[in-house]
Amino acid sequence: MFSSIYLKSLRDARLAILGWGLGMGLLMLTVLAVYPSLVTTPQAKASLVNLAGSFAWLAAPVRVDTAGGYATFKYGVTILLIAVWPILAGARMFRREEDRGSMDALLSLPRTRVRVGLEKLAAMWSALLGMGLLIAILTFAGGAAVNGGISAGQAVVFAFNIVLVCFLVGAIAMLISQFTETSGTAAGSTAAVMLVFVVLDMVHRIIPNTDWVSSLSPIYYYNLNKPLIPGQSVDAGALALLFGLSVVLSAAAIWLFTRRDIGAAVRAPAFLHLPQRPAAKPSRKTHWGAWSLRSVYTRSLATLASPTLWWTLAIAGFGGWMVIVVVQTEANLRALLNGSPTMQAFLRAGGSDASTNASILSALFLFLPVMLMAFAVTQANRWSADEEDGRLELVLSTPQPRLNVLLGRFAALATSTVLIAVVTLAVTAVTAAATGLKLDQGNLAAATLSMIPLGLLVAAIGYLLSGWLSAAIDTGLLSFLLVIWFFIRYIGPDLHLPEATQRLSAFYYYGTPLLHGLPTFDTFVVVAVGAAALALASARFVRKDIGR
Amino acid sequence: MTAIIEVEGLSKSYGGKRGIIDVSFKVEEGQLFGFLGPNGAGKTTTIRTLMALLHADSGQARIAGMDCWDRSVEIKRLVGYLPGELSLDPGLTGAQILEYFGHLRGGVDQAYLKQLVERFDLDTSRKFRQYSSGNKRKVGLIQAFMHQPRLLVLDEPTNGLDPLNQQEFARLVGEARDEGRTVFLSSHILTEVEQICTRVAIIREGRLVREGGLAELKDIKRHEVAITFADSPPADSFLHLEGVERVEGMPDGHTLRLTVQGGLDAVVKAAAMHPVVSLTSHEPSLDEVFLTYYENGGKGPVEVEQRV
Repeated sequence: MFSSIYLKSLRDARLAILGWGLGMGLLMLTVLAVYPSLVTTPQAKASLVNLAGSFAWLAAPVRVDTAGGYATFKYGVTILLIAVWPILAGARMFRREEDRGSMDALLSLPRTRVRVGLEKLAAMWSALLGMGLLIAILTFAGGAAVNGGISAGQAVVFAFNIVLVCFLVGAIAMLISQFTETSGTAAGSTAAVMLVFVVLDMVHRIIPNTDWVSSLSPIYYYNLNKPLIPGQSVDAGALALLFGLSVVLSAAAIWLFTRRDIGAAVRAPAFLHLPQRPAAKPSRKTHWGAWSLRSVYTRSLATLASPTLWWTLAIAGFGGWMVIVVVQTEANLRALLNGSPTMQAFLRAGGSDASTNASILSALFLFLPVMLMAFAVTQANRWSADEEDGRLELVLSTPQPRLNVLLGRFAALATSTVLIAVVTLAVTAVTAAATGLKLDQGNLAAATLSMIPLGLLVAAIGYLLSGWLSAAIDTGLLSFLLVIWFFIRYIGPDLHLPEATQRLSAFYYYGTPLLHGLPTFDTFVVVAVGAAALALASARFVRKDIGR
Repeated sequence: MTAIIEVEGLSKSYGGKRGIIDVSFKVEEGQLFGFLGPNGAGKTTTIRTLMALLHADSGQARIAGMDCWDRSVEIKRLVGYLPGELSLDPGLTGAQILEYFGHLRGGVDQAYLKQLVERFDLDTSRKFRQYSSGNKRKVGLIQAFMHQPRLLVLDEPTNGLDPLNQQEFARLVGEARDEGRTVFLSSHILTEVEQICTRVAIIREGRLVREGGLAELKDIKRHEVAITFADSPPADSFLHLEGVERVEGMPDGHTLRLTVQGGLDAVVKAAAMHPVVSLTSHEPSLDEVFLTYYENGGKGPVEVEQRV
């Protein structure tokens, strides 16, 4: 596996291929597994079609009364989730090695930069094809399990379409990374660009005759192909366009990579240069008086500021948005829900009382703790990576007890988590008040604030696992755990999983707080398990060898 | 004098891989102690065990009479540490890093810190990721010295430093000695230890092979000398000179390569008897020294050998 840059890069992605491919495939399996319970009667089918129509802005509802149509509709909204890996892989393709200094060694080999770039690109594409294969297999398996009439060919084209849009996302990230100095900035910028593309794609589904606006987004071409839907022909032009754009943008990224300084961003054209300022004199300043440099806790808080801001915008924004969505579809939903027992079952994950606004919102709010837990996964990864990269070594050479260092970091993460939850509460409460949606304020507070123990539970488990495992394996396991928990919670009831099995999912303990208030005992269980995990993580950390 | 570092039978392995085996030595307060060894010998493992970053499998390590693991926090109040590989937050400037570690140490004398920054000529406004390896080393050295610790534990401190800053470092170590502080530094460069330290220990393949005064270095110190003569080289003239271990003729037919232990006086005088075109001398790396010195099973130097 070390005989070429291609194989080495592919080896580095082996966990991601398995984790992301299985994760995305299981998501499809979940969606398909739910389908039969939604179409038990003709009325239920009709209700499903109507309900999907209410969410047309999110994804085009085409033949949602079929397994393939329903799966396409539900999976269509997950594009940003699917794009996470190619965004990270593309942004890090060159920048990560430059950050570490290993690019210098790589480029000292008798290989051209073009070849280095092409081998790394080929590895990313191979990894995505591997993930696509897993998605295709699980899609086919899911279709077969529910007699959904999904052929192997349809599953392959469906997965190939996903792979192609991921090629393009990776290419965009690669290109953007040529203009940034760190992989983190490149990844963040690409995520923002993707968000714009998703919104652009939504425009034509909300405002008639605006296809030309949406056609500016590559997501539009991704959505042109719906191979799982019976009778839909494959749009080869859209596939070719996605592939062509990927090739052009990847080529542009590699071209820029061959012309820029290693470790630096692409220089803007001369006419864009600002007037030269006199070179700054070397500074001998040693004291800034910054609050963030006073302790491990404050330093960690400052490091978390930027990710906390983005995750707060995403989570609180999603919460507020969902309130608006419920208001807009309220009238339609009321009619549908009251006339369809099956649709009430559809909302079972969110709660059993389908007669209130809170019922549909409760179902949607299930995604809030998922997002907060994903944030916790990223921060557990950071803790693990800091130790692995030796960034704790000097901190631990100061008279700071190891326990204080761990707890300082965890306390900063807890502060961020609380902040995200509180802002989410404020945004959803204000949005509900502004739109006239009546919600029980106590339950709303419970629904948003009870995410905190779940986020901290995931972080504590991540800290605990990092006592033995590398950052990559720790993060992979934690992400997999999150997917499995979600899987158990979401389709566990439909699969008639025993109560004991469902209790293994942390989401089980979240309950339906928007409907029934804070599940005090269950919340206590989460807090207790989280505290135990943190105690074990602390016990391990104060005794372990600090690694490199 | 009292011992500030006491290491007794210290062993550490990484899974099945060797770290250090039964290492014992003492460092007296106020000493400048050099810990010599080739790459991978176990220097960093010993140092990281002293700093309680690693937990020893067996044996004891004490600093100022306190167990390094059990009382690590108290010990770290006394110690300034420079790791072999410095990894810090790449987004912080030099000044921010120094301020952060100053706070973690409970505050430092700002005037002394400023003086250190000026002496090492460090531009503190640049981010850590923008520093060259030498400047990164300076940040590490300044943070190790800035709280004027009783004991300095420095892992290959001059790696990446230019000669001027190496001299500045040597002056700082001298000042620390004058103030009665102790310096424990690791290195794989013989001359560096010879110039700075008053006592040495040599570690090889995880085991301590020697400990003593600077005289301990004399019998292992080597010079590789290449002499080019105008005529055919007089190899026999050098073969039995004091300190000459190996004489090798080069393919050009004019040059001799000699491995010499100790001073070069006899070799230079012998060479001067013949028309010399050029003479170069360099000190082999510690790896090379150990290879030749210990290739005889660690029992002493190999016999004089001629390869002409």
